[in-house]
Amino acid sequence: MVFFMGIVLILGMVLSACSSSSSEKSSGTSEGSASGAPQELTYAMTSKIVGLSPIMTNDSVSTAAINQIYETLFTKDPKTLEIKPLLAASYDTPDDKTWVIHLKKNIKFTDGTPFDAEAVKYTFDKLRDPKTGAPRASLLAPVASVTVKDKYTVVIKTKEPYGAMLAALAHENAAIVSPTADKKQDLMKKPVGTGPFMLKEWVAGDHLTLVRNPSYWQGKAKLKQVTFKVVPDVNTAISMLQTGQVDFIDGIPSSQWDRVNRLKGIKTMKKAGTAVAYLGFNVRREPMKNLAFRQAVAYAIDRKAYVKQLEGLGIQSNSIIGPKVFGYDKSAEAGGYSYNPKKAKQMLKENGWEGKTIEMLVANTENYMKMGQIVQDQLQKVGLKVKMDTMEWGTFLDVSRKGNFDITFLSWSNSTADGSELLYPNLHSDNIGSSNVTGYNNAKFNKLVEESRASTDQNYRKQKLDEANKLAIKDAPWVIMDHGVVTAAYKDSIKGLTIDPTGLWSLYKVYKE
Amino acid sequence: MVTMIIKRLIQLIFLLIGITFIVFMAMHIAPGDPASIIGGPTATQSDILAIHHRLGLDKPIIIQYLDYLNGILHGDLGFSFQTNRSVAQEIWTRLPNTIDLAIASMIVAIIIGVPAGIISALKQNSWLDFSSTTLSLAGISIPNFWLGALLILVFAVNLQWLPVGGLDTPFWTFKGFKEILLPAITLGTGSAAMIARMSRSSMLEIIRADFVRTARAKGVKEHMVIWVHCLRNALIPVVTVIGLNFGGLLGGTIITEQVFAINGVGRLMVESIASRDFPMVQGGVLLIAFIFVIVNLVVDIVYALIDPRISYQ
Amino acid sequence: MQPQTTETSVSVKVSKNEALTRRLKQFFKYKLAVIGLIVILVQIFLAIFANSVTSYSPTVQDLTHVNLKPGSPGHWLGTDNYGRDMWSRLVFGARLSLMVGFSSVIIGTVIGTLLGLLAGFYKFLDTIIMRISDLMFAFPGILLAMLIIAILGTSLLNVVIAISIWSIPSCARIVRGSVLSLKKQEYITAMRALGASHFRIIFQHILPNGTAPIIVFATMHMGTAILSTSALSFLGLGAEPSTPEWGAMISAGQQYMWQAPHLVIIPGIAIMLVVFAFNVVGDALRDMLDPNMKSR
Repeated sequence: MVFFMGIVLILGMVLSACSSSSSEKSSGTSEGSASGAPQELTYAMTSKIVGLSPIMTNDSVSTAAINQIYETLFTKDPKTLEIKPLLAASYDTPDDKTWVIHLKKNIKFTDGTPFDAEAVKYTFDKLRDPKTGAPRASLLAPVASVTVKDKYTVVIKTKEPYGAMLAALAHENAAIVSPTADKKQDLMKKPVGTGPFMLKEWVAGDHLTLVRNPSYWQGKAKLKQVTFKVVPDVNTAISMLQTGQVDFIDGIPSSQWDRVNRLKGIKTMKKAGTAVAYLGFNVRREPMKNLAFRQAVAYAIDRKAYVKQLEGLGIQSNSIIGPKVFGYDKSAEAGGYSYNPKKAKQMLKENGWEGKTIEMLVANTENYMKMGQIVQDQLQKVGLKVKMDTMEWGTFLDVSRKGNFDITFLSWSNSTADGSELLYPNLHSDNIGSSNVTGYNNAKFNKLVEESRASTDQNYRKQKLDEANKLAIKDAPWVIMDHGVVTAAYKDSIKGLTIDPTGLWSLYKVYKE
Repeated sequence: MVTMIIKRLIQLIFLLIGITFIVFMAMHIAPGDPASIIGGPTATQSDILAIHHRLGLDKPIIIQYLDYLNGILHGDLGFSFQTNRSVAQEIWTRLPNTIDLAIASMIVAIIIGVPAGIISALKQNSWLDFSSTTLSLAGISIPNFWLGALLILVFAVNLQWLPVGGLDTPFWTFKGFKEILLPAITLGTGSAAMIARMSRSSMLEIIRADFVRTARAKGVKEHMVIWVHCLRNALIPVVTVIGLNFGGLLGGTIITEQVFAINGVGRLMVESIASRDFPMVQGGVLLIAFIFVIVNLVVDIVYALIDPRISYQ
Repeated sequence: MQPQTTETSVSVKVSKNEALTRRLKQFFKYKLAVIGLIVILVQIFLAIFANSVTSYSPTVQDLTHVNLKPGSPGHWLGTDNYGRDMWSRLVFGARLSLMVGFSSVIIGTVIGTLLGLLAGFYKFLDTIIMRISDLMFAFPGILLAMLIIAILGTSLLNVVIAISIWSIPSCARIVRGSVLSLKKQEYITAMRALGASHFRIIFQHILPNGTAPIIVFATMHMGTAILSTSALSFLGLGAEPSTPEWGAMISAGQQYMWQAPHLVIIPGIAIMLVVFAFNVVGDALRDMLDPNMKSR
């Protein structure tokens, strides 16, 4: 019997190898090439949507849906990442602590409430209010006050100059909500924004259906209906894409990239993203305290081989600020420590670290476990002993914050695509105990980052960020594993889809052929 | 009989209070802070304290527990930390899927298990017996996430006879039947095996029992002997196994729901434990335990009804 | 119950040797059980001589030779996505699954037996112990294990602890059942009347006569323990990813199922074979050892 099952399985595998032709037929005929294709789209995501209020959420899946329902004052161009007005019409800065924002007129929320300065003030005050307990309240932490100057003008005053203000206002968690709706209902369940789509139905944990906003200020979307479906297992999600139950998936794991690319009738897209994945040293502990040790580890890790494992879904780089992030300069690449196992071995030997046991903390998701396994093996090859501790994400966050590890892996998605928003939370000493898990504390570095945040002169900011970046690369509290690549796979009947480097997408211009 | 039911119901209340206490304490002892999960890696220390306050996690633990118990007594299971929705509502939307899956799997298990057990008992030591025994043992030995992936590969992806995953319609409709078939087979094989074993051994015992011999001696036709005298009696212990297995099935749905993208209580529990959504985990475990106890109570009552020899004092 | 007691007392008189050969003969009557026993012996052999039968370490990677197909030179079962030798991983996995199975079964059975003995022998403990075990029964197994792992953290050791705890109530019930029936027997009542210590009665007279169901339970539970370990690893709650645990291997290999199906097939078949083996052997043992089952 056992053998029989084995045979069935093997048969299944063989069948699968020659099955692509059958799937091609089905996906070809079911949609057809007629222009009358139903303008409906199904997107599969691996975890559930938590809620639909931009103020109360901070996870990528909820953000994907929020991004279709709400809009921000400013937005990033998906290609150039340049920040341009969206709900705002224009802005000026009379002094470096004051932002005067002029709003677009004649825009309405989907509940009929007019979009105006009151709505902006209401949203930002709610986001900032400690009583709200908003997960991304820190976005507007430097803000001192928000005042309504007239119906379509808002004045934001900051405590000190805040260079990344526009990037913060372009962040999805700073999207504007309808004040009337927020007062009478829970936006987590019944969202009301100004965006191209609005909520039709939500079966918690299973799917979310959006329909287009008939009176959207930029004109109706082409898609009539969009479904966000939860499919926790990526394998299953890709099988659903293959059989046509799903039209579009994103964030494809590197292990599945090859499979997705071989599917007939399915297009894939990939481009460089703003996320960065790194190995972090706990610099408060011996021997990670020593630059020589950190250098030795950096020399020991073959990041080229690691990136090759990612099937092209990662960009090898030595720079902490990635190529798609504001503050990057090519010259930073030269400053890092490239693969040199001989040198690593020698340095470990000279300092008497050979045979030392290192505790490696790894969250139990696929990407981190991949980094962990490869690095564990490579460090052991140069003479260290590595004890790997895997934990659930929730426990991991706690343990890493408390600093109970020698080395760990983390990534930062950097949804503002601004270098200050990478260096300040992750490496500035203000954030030790929260987002700065390595405990890195360097006065010179701190000062450079503060300067980059406090200015509104973008050229000056870029220069400061570059200096800070180069300093941190030399000092090596992090070893950069790779810079992220954003991916998507979709039926070839779907047109007009673009993904920006932060991994976000808008379905506004998407249609089916 | 009535006193037995009342006694069991009183026990049930204490059992449920015991469960709330264990789960409540377990979730609070477990490392991992719900606020840091909600806030994500970007949240600052002050963000996290604010979230703590919003969730009421800054109160002393005993007060939190008493508040929770008080809520339950008023029929309020609390609100999910993650989604801010009522726990009862969250569970309620998912429960039908899990129950559908459990019942459908049980049906699959009975359809496979009972005949297989009876046939192998009637043809004891034949090749039929041998192969059905092997088959049922293999059924318990397959990791069900593995079987699920295999079934998807063959029947959904290659042959495209059935959908890959999802469960949107009740299983008695044609569409729902197609949706639930693979998950039900995945989950049902283990129970099928246990039912087959139980049916086989209880059938063997009955065939040799005195009253069957008497019936035969009296000249009752063979198929009458089997269908009327044996089967009814042989199925009594099988009913117990089915009841016990139903609880096991509820647990098994956790993995099956994960593989087949079914929005059920099991998957909700996996997510809630991972995100340390305390009220959600407490509510879910309470509900599953409640169903388990009630199903077993019903089984005991049915048992007493079909077998007059059993009495409860 | 009565007839069986006479049977056991009769068989005591038969010389031990004769009884053994009779049992062996009986055992070989169960063809499946023999196959199962062979599988278990092979597994034990591989577990003991893991170092001698493999030429690679199960954890050392070779990123230049990844996903090699079975039959490749030097790697007859191929390599995984990190270029680790599949044969080595399979063999060291055999060792791990035996270790996990044995240790969780031993912990669970010892504690379960003790509790069962106490519950069966002392009436006042019975209610407490049985109510607590009811409480644990009401949790679905996987959920209980997930809660325990949430508290203790993810590691293979904690999986062993979780699975042991989960098996305690069933074991306690079985033992309690046999204690209750043994307790009523004349020689035990006689010993109690003579004033023998409870300790002596429990461990010298009741326990030895109640071992059969315990052995059967333990054997059958080996299979369950191995399966549960793999299920927990599938949910990411088990062994750390570089350890060659079979369940973790399947779970990691699933991502590559379309490129390198052997990553999933090989450990899957290994789990099935081993669990199957423990189940058939357990079945056969039950038929032989458990007098209640003899007629079946």
